[in-house]
Amino acid sequence: MNRPILPLLVVTVGVLLLVDLVVVNPTISDIAAVAVEAVILVGAGAAIAVTASLAWRRAVDLWSRRGDPIGAALVLVGIGAMLVAGLRPGATGASDPWVAWLVGALLVPIAATLFGLLFVTTVVAARRSVASRRRDAFVLMSAALVMLVLLLPIGGQTGGALATAAGWVLAGPVAAVFRGILLGVAILAAVAAARTLLGVGAGDE
Amino acid sequence: MSDRRALVLRLLPLVFVLVLAAAWLVPATDALDLAGDPAAADGFAAALDDLPDAPVVLVGFDPDLGTYAEIRPTVRTALADLLARNARLIVVSLTPEGRALALAELARLARYEANPTRILDLGYVSGAEAALVALARAPVIPSAASGELADGLRDEGIGGVDAVVVIGGNDLGPRTWVEQLQPRIGRVPFLAIAPATLLPELQPYVGGGQLAGLLGTPRDGAAYRASTSLGTLAPIVEADAPPALPILAGMLVAIAILGQAWLARAGTTVGTLGREGRE
Repeated sequence: MNRPILPLLVVTVGVLLLVDLVVVNPTISDIAAVAVEAVILVGAGAAIAVTASLAWRRAVDLWSRRGDPIGAALVLVGIGAMLVAGLRPGATGASDPWVAWLVGALLVPIAATLFGLLFVTTVVAARRSVASRRRDAFVLMSAALVMLVLLLPIGGQTGGALATAAGWVLAGPVAAVFRGILLGVAILAAVAAARTLLGVGAGDE
Repeated sequence: MSDRRALVLRLLPLVFVLVLAAAWLVPATDALDLAGDPAAADGFAAALDDLPDAPVVLVGFDPDLGTYAEIRPTVRTALADLLARNARLIVVSLTPEGRALALAELARLARYEANPTRILDLGYVSGAEAALVALARAPVIPSAASGELADGLRDEGIGGVDAVVVIGGNDLGPRTWVEQLQPRIGRVPFLAIAPATLLPELQPYVGGGQLAGLLGTPRDGAAYRASTSLGTLAPIVEADAPPALPILAGMLVAIAILGQAWLARAGTTVGTLGREGRE
């Protein structure tokens, strides 16, 4: 019998939170609160670890002059600037005006510009996928073309008809497929959780 | 590929940007209507109308950078609308990306001299879904936070909130808030503003009543923006919200490029089938 610790822990905490949700009991509530706080701390720790790992990898790239040294330097300067702005003596952390300026004047506009370029790259990639002669890409792009036409911002009766058709597509076929996927994922998760609780592994089949 | 053709292909994105810029400058016309059926906007406004005087509204601010441009004018109008209704806002983010955008919007509100006593910034809370559970139990309020709003939240917890407005865009969007927070705080109305990509997963929550209002498409957002009356807070809203013509131009360019490839592929397929039939 295979009893993986991590999935068992996840399922145990999940069941604990579920019981806490449906049963009013101070003791269970206190235990659940500890579990929730632990999850939050682990999440915060993981976020810091990922950022530190990124900084370390870029520092190594820069030191050994491999990969993209300019990009590595920019990443390190960005992390350093944000840390200095938020942690310098007298700063108020993430809400500090220096941090707000870095975010509002640099981070958000730069990111918006990069995402703005997605229009060109997405259209080019879609065109290539149609030309690749793959049947699934052809079907996907056909659906995309139909939706683009239905969502055109046109006024009057034509625009109304297009909007009505778009609403029907959303409420009918798209909603049906999407709900089917959600239900399938939920059933799969429930089966996986039950198998974990019962200690059923691949070797038992 | 000839040099001239390669040069033309390289210049096409620049031409496209110039076309968009020119389309932006053309005056609006009734023939192009970004605001469609006002039902969603009316439902959103009606849910706000039902709130008590000077409501306390918890704002979950977690859009993503990729789709924020789509909902930004609507989000700014909604924040101004809430403040115009004397609402007091408690802002919290569950993602670093959402926190960055929240910080930018809060700084913008401060520049427009929004009353700081009406806004409480809880900042970023890590832990994803667990953060929402913790928020329902006992929200972590910054120690430096003071005033009636902070004191009220310390005393009453999240139970003192009159409504929840979720600005969505990433995985921790309105759906997560409805699933994790709504069962824990009772019958508080939840409203959401989200990009159209989230519409399929959010529409059932509107039908089921878990979301009292949803602005989930650019058309819904435009209809809501056209219906609001903000009074002295009007400057908070974007003066130059996206007109319909550049959006139409961009969509037509996409349709032309994809349509040309689609027709070429369809022509090839039909030709192949025809040859096979003759043979």
